This record gives sequence, structure tokens and C-alpha cells, in this order.
Amino acid sequence: MTPFHLKIVTPDGLIFDGQAEELIVRTTGGDVAILARHIDYVAALGMGRAVVVSNGQRRTAACIGGMLSVSGGEVTLVPTTFEWADKIDVDRAEASLQRADKVLHDESASSTDIQLAEARLHRALVRKSVASYK
Amino acid sequence: MAGVSTKEIKTRIRSMESTKQITKAMEMVAASKLRRAQAQVANSRPYFEILYTTIRDITRSNRDFSSPYLKERPVKKVMYLVIAGDRGLAGGYNSNILKLVMSQIQDKDAVVLPIGKKAVDFFKSKNVPILTENYAEAASVGIGDCFSISKQLSKAFLEGEFDEVYVAYTSFVSMLSQQPATMQLLPLKKPEAREEPAAPRRCDTIYEGDSEEVFAAIVPEYLGGILYGALCESRASEQAARRSAMDSATQNADEMIADLSLKFNRARQAAITQEITEIVAGS
Repeated sequence: MTPFHLKIVTPDGLIFDGQAEELIVRTTGGDVAILARHIDYVAALGMGRAVVVSNGQRRTAACIGGMLSVSGGEVTLVPTTFEWADKIDVDRAEASLQRADKVLHDESASSTDIQLAEARLHRALVRKSVASYK
Repeated sequence: MAGVSTKEIKTRIRSMESTKQITKAMEMVAASKLRRAQAQVANSRPYFEILYTTIRDITRSNRDFSSPYLKERPVKKVMYLVIAGDRGLAGGYNSNILKLVMSQIQDKDAVVLPIGKKAVDFFKSKNVPILTENYAEAASVGIGDCFSISKQLSKAFLEGEFDEVYVAYTSFVSMLSQQPATMQLLPLKKPEAREEPAAPRRCDTIYEGDSEEVFAAIVPEYLGGILYGALCESRASEQAARRSAMDSATQNADEMIADLSLKFNRARQAAITQEITEIVAGS
């Protein structure tokens, strides 16, 4: 397959910079796959699994927030967090899940606490499910 | 005997030396923390540059673009995010930024969100309404916290709780100079259209959903990014301020030790001379 140039940048630094054949990410509107020679495109990212195929190898990652842009054949993924499946700390995700669960079952929790806990729960679930792909 | 006894001078020198050791150690710790803070800023910069470019492209490509984030309203209530330190001993770092904020909010109906223990204590004592004290420890605020703060503030802004949001931080000019500054976060300033000649671009970019939807989704991320940048810069400034404060403290200690050593030697010499005189006189 024709490769294209893919760059993955997060606030923590550059994660990936090189040739890739396919990129699958979850946008706010659902999963999309980007192949070479895609038309210019911008989308906000949701929370979910991302797949990068480069040199015939598939790598899975948990990709949360941020955006995807294709401009002149260059693909740039700027997620808030991006973790390869084999680098996900499952224990931490589990602990975060428990913590969020506790807040959600606490009736005295304020609405902002509940919102934060919901987001945390969602992230933890994504991480856990992606970690099982490695 | 010349004034003070040699023993007394000796204890003073010793205590001065231990103080010097502490200030020297603090200076070195601050220097290494400063390097780390600067590396953090450098790491995260490309991310925000890309977000900024996208925001600029979106606002530029549609003429009649409008978003609640860009709309200016009559200002009734303002929100200040104040980034200060957790600890003192950093020269004027804390007092400069707090003074600046106080002068700006004096005649306004303002709420603050302090980051850092010094800021929390200060606004509490001045009876300024505080939004939340969750971020009392500046050192432990990470990028995730910045994003949740920015989401919370964006939502509050859209709901009309605040009409303007500012962030007060200390900008890192150089190792020797740090300037307190404030920056407007919301409403977003429309990116200048003329900063570079509009590149010959095709206007056929597809936006998932539509461009306004994408815009609304990335604005909180972008603000979180600015916030994180301001936080990192403030942290670098704090360490730089502490480094130079501690550097001059060490120099002062050196000077005082030199002065005291001179006094000590004089006193010792005087004692010896006196003893010799006594012996000579006695024989």
C-alpha cells in the first residue's frame, strides 16, 4: 500500500513521525480510516482505539481528545493523550476506574465532581479495552 | 580584647556557613528544576502550534464564521486564573504577580481561581471570592488538570457565569528577569488575518460534522494548552527567581564570612599580643 507521512504529537512530545500506510482513529462522529492521498480533512477526536499500520505492522493505542488533520497529504494527529497498547498501565486504569465509580455512587457528590468522574471512567474503560489488544 | 570574644565570632561563622550551604543547595536544586521546566515547555510547543494553526485556518476560511467563544459581551463578571508558587524564598516572584492581579481586579466584580499555596492564602486574606481551592499545590498541577480547568471555564463562560477570563502568570524573559503578566483567554481574540499573506490554499477542506463543531471541540483543548504553557513558564520563572535570590544569598553569606574571619583573626592576634605582653612584663 502507498505510505503517507504521519505525525503524532501530544503535549508530552512527539510520539510518532514517519511513514504509515493506514491510520484508524475515533472522531467525535465515529471511526475513520485515513489512507494515502486523502483529501484535506479536519476532525475533532473522541475517546477510543487508534490503529497505526506502518511497514505492514499494526499497532494499537488508546487515543483520547484532540484533533486529526490532513493537509496536502500530510497527516497530523494531535491527541490529548496517546498511549500504545503495550505501554498502558492497566493497574492505574483499574484504580482510576474504581475511584470514578466511587464518586458516581456517592449521592453527596457535586455535579462538577460527577462530570469529572464520568470522564475519568470513560478514559479508564478505553484504556482497559485497548490494553487487551496487545 | 578587641570587642567580641573569639569564641563568639567562631559560632557566628559556623552558623553562617551552614546557612550558606543551604542557600547553595537550594540554588542548585532550583537550577536543575528550571532546566526540567524549560524542557517541558519545549516538548509541548509543537502540539499547541498545530492547534493554533487549525483554529486560525478555520476562522480565516469562513467569512461569516461565528462562535460563542469569539463573541464579546458587556463585562459584568471577570474570572482571573492566578498562577503563583507554593513556597516563598523566591525573591519577588509571588508578591509581584499578586500585586499585579490586585491592581487589576480592584474595581471589578472578580472571581479568582488561585493555583499555588501562596495565591490561595493571599486571596483568602483579602476576601476575594475564590472559585475552587482544588489546585492549591502548583507543583502537582499537571496537563490533565489544565484540561479540566479549561473545560470547566469554557463551560462556565458559555453559560454566562463569566464574561471574561484572564490568566495571570509570570513570563520568563531570561534567567535574570521575569515579568508578571496577564493574558485574555476568553472571549478568544480572533486571530489576525493579515499576519501572513494568505497562502494559496484550496478551500475544500472537509470538516467532520462542520467547521463550527470542530472549532467548539478544540477550543477547550487549545485553552488548556495555553494554560499549561503559562503554568510551565511560571514554574520556570519561579525557579529562576529562586535561583537568583539564593545566588545573592550565598554571595552575602560569603561576604559576611570573609568579614567575620577578618574580625576573628584580629581578635586572635590581639589575644596573642596581649599574652606576650603579659609574659614579657612579668619576667
